[in-house]
Parts: sequence; structure tokens; C-alpha cells
Amino acid sequence: MEMQTTTETTPPSQRPRRGGLRRWLRDLQGWVARLFGGESLRGLLLRRLRDGVIVLLLVVTVIFFLAHVVGNPALVFAPVDATDEHIAELHRQFGLDRPVAERYWEYLVGLAQLDFGESTWQQRPAIDAVKEALPSTIYLTVVGLGAAAVLGVVPGIVAGARARKPFDKTSNLLSVAALSVPNFWLGLLLILVLGVQLGWLPTSGRFETASIVMPALTLGIVHGGRIYQLVRSATFEEMSKPYVTVARSKGLTEWNILRRHVVRNTGVTTATIVGWEYVRMWGGAVFAIEYVFAWPGIGLLTIDAAHKHDFFVLQAAVIIAGAFVIFSNLLIDMGYQFIDRRIAAS
Amino acid sequence: MSVLPLLEVDDLHVTFNTASGPVHAVDGVSFTMAPGASLGVVGESGSGKSVTARALLRLFAITDDVRVSGSVHFDGADLLRVDERRLRHVRGGQIGMIFQDPLTSLNPLMAVGEQIAESLRLHRGMGRAEAASEAVELLARVGIADPEKRATELPSSFSGGMRQRVMISLAIACRPRLLIADEPTTALDVTVQAEILLLLDELRRSEGMALMLITHDFGVVAATCEDVQVMYAGKLVEKASMTHLFDRANHPYTEGLLRLVPRFEDAHTGRLHPIPGQPPITGGGGSSCAFAPRCAHAFDRCHREIPPEVAVGPEHLSACWLAADRAKEGTEAGRPWRRTP
Repeated sequence: MEMQTTTETTPPSQRPRRGGLRRWLRDLQGWVARLFGGESLRGLLLRRLRDGVIVLLLVVTVIFFLAHVVGNPALVFAPVDATDEHIAELHRQFGLDRPVAERYWEYLVGLAQLDFGESTWQQRPAIDAVKEALPSTIYLTVVGLGAAAVLGVVPGIVAGARARKPFDKTSNLLSVAALSVPNFWLGLLLILVLGVQLGWLPTSGRFETASIVMPALTLGIVHGGRIYQLVRSATFEEMSKPYVTVARSKGLTEWNILRRHVVRNTGVTTATIVGWEYVRMWGGAVFAIEYVFAWPGIGLLTIDAAHKHDFFVLQAAVIIAGAFVIFSNLLIDMGYQFIDRRIAAS
Repeated sequence: MSVLPLLEVDDLHVTFNTASGPVHAVDGVSFTMAPGASLGVVGESGSGKSVTARALLRLFAITDDVRVSGSVHFDGADLLRVDERRLRHVRGGQIGMIFQDPLTSLNPLMAVGEQIAESLRLHRGMGRAEAASEAVELLARVGIADPEKRATELPSSFSGGMRQRVMISLAIACRPRLLIADEPTTALDVTVQAEILLLLDELRRSEGMALMLITHDFGVVAATCEDVQVMYAGKLVEKASMTHLFDRANHPYTEGLLRLVPRFEDAHTGRLHPIPGQPPITGGGGSSCAFAPRCAHAFDRCHREIPPEVAVGPEHLSACWLAADRAKEGTEAGRPWRRTP
């Protein structure tokens, strides 16, 4: 009896199947799954790490080929009236006369050792310049994200819960304005009003504690507008679900429905929205904002390096910023998965 | 009647202002319910039966632009005019409500015990621990096995029928005097339907609460309700006791609905008899009988004037110009429902 039951319930995956390549692929898949423990969190982390490394490698490769193959770095450094011999001399100096593959390999080995070359402008390793600027940018983006979260999440929840009421309409209008205004223009406006006319806040640089306020506020307004939009629609959608009507039929106050049910259930979504917005910040606004406020971070460094034709600093800044974005992305993704699975498991 | 009514709805109108103009979902509905009574409200989709139920507790979506008039007297107070505080006290505390779709009616991320306890703490002033243990008892009451363990689980680990049981335990948690069940079995299997109806009937009798059951299925009403009222296009067209209605349905619409129920005896010879045409999208507001365009007995007066409710028997009302004649002659629909000896 027991034997019979066993044969009958053989899982389909163990039954012999035809098809050589497909079977081989399935075996490989099974093997990989066993190696990473199936769809476990660890397996997912390893997969995402692998993807991250691949993306970073792509970024690095594109930069290399843009600079060394498509363009000619020697021409950038050569004076305008340089002779052909002079340029040839520079070529030898940079090692540009050697085969591309060899140079690419050396470049990769260098990067692996965090050797990004010497800054021609600052007369020190390019990595040092980036290391100096990175904490400022992290500080600015974290404070900016905090401002964006406060400006976006709270009004977003209130507006979503009181859809089509005056508060919703007003805040919606403001948020659309906030996210359609060019970020640098908003920065300049703040400088004009808060810095120059009212004289409340320092307008540029990072010399005192209050220096952070205006650049962070600018980031907060621009990104808060987007966060507001997404949180508002998530809250509104949640409020329209039947269980909210049931909660209302139980006699709960609107405030308790919002607090005990809706905000809890949209929490994961909200956290993800805010996380994505952080990544987006690195992709754009922070560069313009640092430039407008002369904030000594990666953005300003990149722009200065470009002006000064300092290819090595430029390269180091782009690669490290890219690595940082990939890494943050990974953290957000894993955090989301972690929360989601805990919810699914409980 | 000597008993003071528990619920007295008088001339209830509900109008939604939509982008394509006003929709009169409920158009002058009046009825009463005695304590412990059981009333079935029957009608097609869009007849205004669910909106009537929601209007009693003012349960509309935040985005609904809705106008409600008339009065809903419950326990002496007009629920359409009391302040929010008083209304919340009635919601869940005095009137419990069960909804159609048990799959979406519970918060998917909150343990079911907690969702029941929430009500208990709110209306019965229980502490956390007391409410939790009472929630377990309520789950046992509605027939959920191993309630202690189940109370800590999320709705996703319950089947549809079990979720509806949870929903029922939630609605009766504070011993309401009226339970409104809005299509409680529509989303469920037939066997589960019967179980849920049995449970509702049993709870009504043991708890002494009144039950208002909204459905499109006469079979469901027949199993649970003593009185029945039929709605069409936002109006009540016929009111009677269950047995009386099945015996001598008066209104042509009721007649049509009853004929629609397939009967076992007719299994090999029978055909379904659909009511021709479609119900109007915007009920009410007109100056004719809303059913006239689909009615086989309609004559010119039906297209000119709205028929009043006419008494055609003891506690039997019908809103039809032919009501008196039809009551005298009897209608076809009632007969097949009589049990043949």
C-alpha cells in the first residue's frame, strides 16, 4: 500500500523526459538552485551581486573604450601648438602605443587595486580626490532624502486618504510644480530669497552647519514631489479596498483606519519608493545642486575635473559613483525582499 | 404591530453625482424591521439593494459624490443626521455588516484574531488580552476549528468560506441588534453557501438579532428570511412574508424573478424564462413605472404614472397598477412554488 502511494506521487521533475538540451538546461538550473539554496534570500543576494558586478564591468568598459579607443587622451593634454613628435612622446608616456587588449587588461588590474591613475590637475592619485569628496555627497543626499521623505510621505498619505478634498488638490498642484521645475533653477531661487534677500542661510560651500540646509531643501523639494505623487496614489488605492469599508463598518475612526490598517499596509511600498528616489538622486539632481551651491562633493568634483581636462579624476568619480548607486540599489532590493518575505512567512 | 420597530427607513433617496449626470440609485424606499426580524431584500444587480444597505450606515467611498435624503431611524436616532461619533458607535456596535467578497473584506496583513479584537476593544472596552481571548471564542462560535491557532493567522491561510465565517464573527462580535448581510454567499460554492446561511439563521435565533439579507437569489431568502421585499430600479416593488410571496406573487417583476429559478421537477422538460430587456441604468426620476418597458402586462397608464404601493393582502404590498386585479385573479408564478401533494 505504501509502496503504491509512493510511486503514484512521484513529482513530475523526477520523471524521465525527452529533449537533450532542455533536460540539460533543467539539470543545470537545478544544480544552480541547489548551490544557492533555491530562491532563498542568500541565493537572491548572490544573484544580485553577480548582476551588480556585471553592470559595473560594463560601465568601466564603456568608459575605457570611450576614452582610449574612440577619443585620444594624448590630444587632451597636448598644448594646442604641439608638434607630431610631442604627441608621439605623450603617447609613449601614457602607454597608448601598446595593443588595446593589453592596455584594457592593465586598466582592469589597476581598478581592482583601486588605482585610478594620477590626477593631472591636483597632482595626487585620482582616488584621493574622490575619497575626499564622497562623504560630502553622501551627507548631502542622506539629508536631502530625509527632507524629501518628510515633504513627500506625510502629505502623500494625507492627500491619498482625503482624495479630492481641498488639501489633496492644493498639495497635488504644489507637488507637480515641485517636480516640473528645473532643480538648478529652484536652487538659484532659494539662494536669491533665503540667502541674498533675507540673509538667513549661507549660499554656497560647506563651511558651517547651516550650509547643508539649502542644497538639502532643494533636493527635498524636487524628490519630495515625486515621492508625494507615488505615496498619494498608493494610499488612495489602499483606501479604496473593500477591507477599509469593513474597517469603517466596524466603527473605527478615519484616523485609526489610516494608522492601524492603511499606513501599515503601504509601508513596504513607501519604503521602496523612498529607496528608489535615493538612487535617482545620485543619477542626476545631486550634480546640478552641488554645482549651484558649490557643495564640495562628487558632483562638483566631476564637473571641475571635466573643465580641467582631468580625465583620471573624472573616470574615478564616475566609476565610484556608479558603484555606489549599484550598491545602494542592491541594499534596497534586499531590504524590500527581506520585509516582503517576512510578511509572506508570518 | 405592537412591537416598536428597531429600524424605520422612511423615503430614502440616494443619488450619486457622476461625470455622466446624477444616478438615482435608491428612489424613495420605506420599510421597517422589528427586533429579531429577518428580512430578505431581492433584486437584480443595480436595483439599489446594496446601496440601500450602505446608506443605512453612511458607508460610501471617500470619492463618492453622494446625496442622501429621507430618514433612517434606528433605536430612536436618525442615522442620516447623527454626528460622526454617534454613527461610529452604531457601526459595528449596534449594526454589524457582512460583505459580498470575503477574499478582499479582511485586511490581508493583519491576523484575523486581531481584526476581531479591534472591534471588541472599541465597542466593548475590553483590554488587549481579554479581547484576544474573546476573539478566539467568536471564531469557535462560527465553527472554525482550532480557533486559538487560527486567530494568529493571516486571512490568506483561510479558504473563501472560512473567511466569510471570520467576517461573520467580526460582524457579530459586539452583539449587534441588526446584522446586515450584503450578498454574503454570492462568492462562495453552493455547499459552503448552505453552511453560511445555516450559520446566519442559527446566530440570528440564538443572539436575538435582526437580520437583513441582501441577495439576488430567492433560494437564499427562502432558506433564511421570514419577510421579503423586492427592489427594482431603486424602488421597492413588492413586500410580503416569504411564504405569502412564493404563494401569490403579485408584481409582474416578482413573478418574472420567481419563474427564473430553475426547478428540479422541470429538469428534463423545462426551459428558463428570462425577463426580456435590461434594467434601466439610472433608476428613478422618471414619471412612469420603471418596469413597464419590460412588462408583458403593461398598458398606457404604466407609461404615464408611477404606480403607488397597494395593499393586496395581509402585510402584502405591491406597486403595480394591476395589483388589485392580479390579487383577485392570482398569478401564474406562485403556483409552481406550492408544494404539490
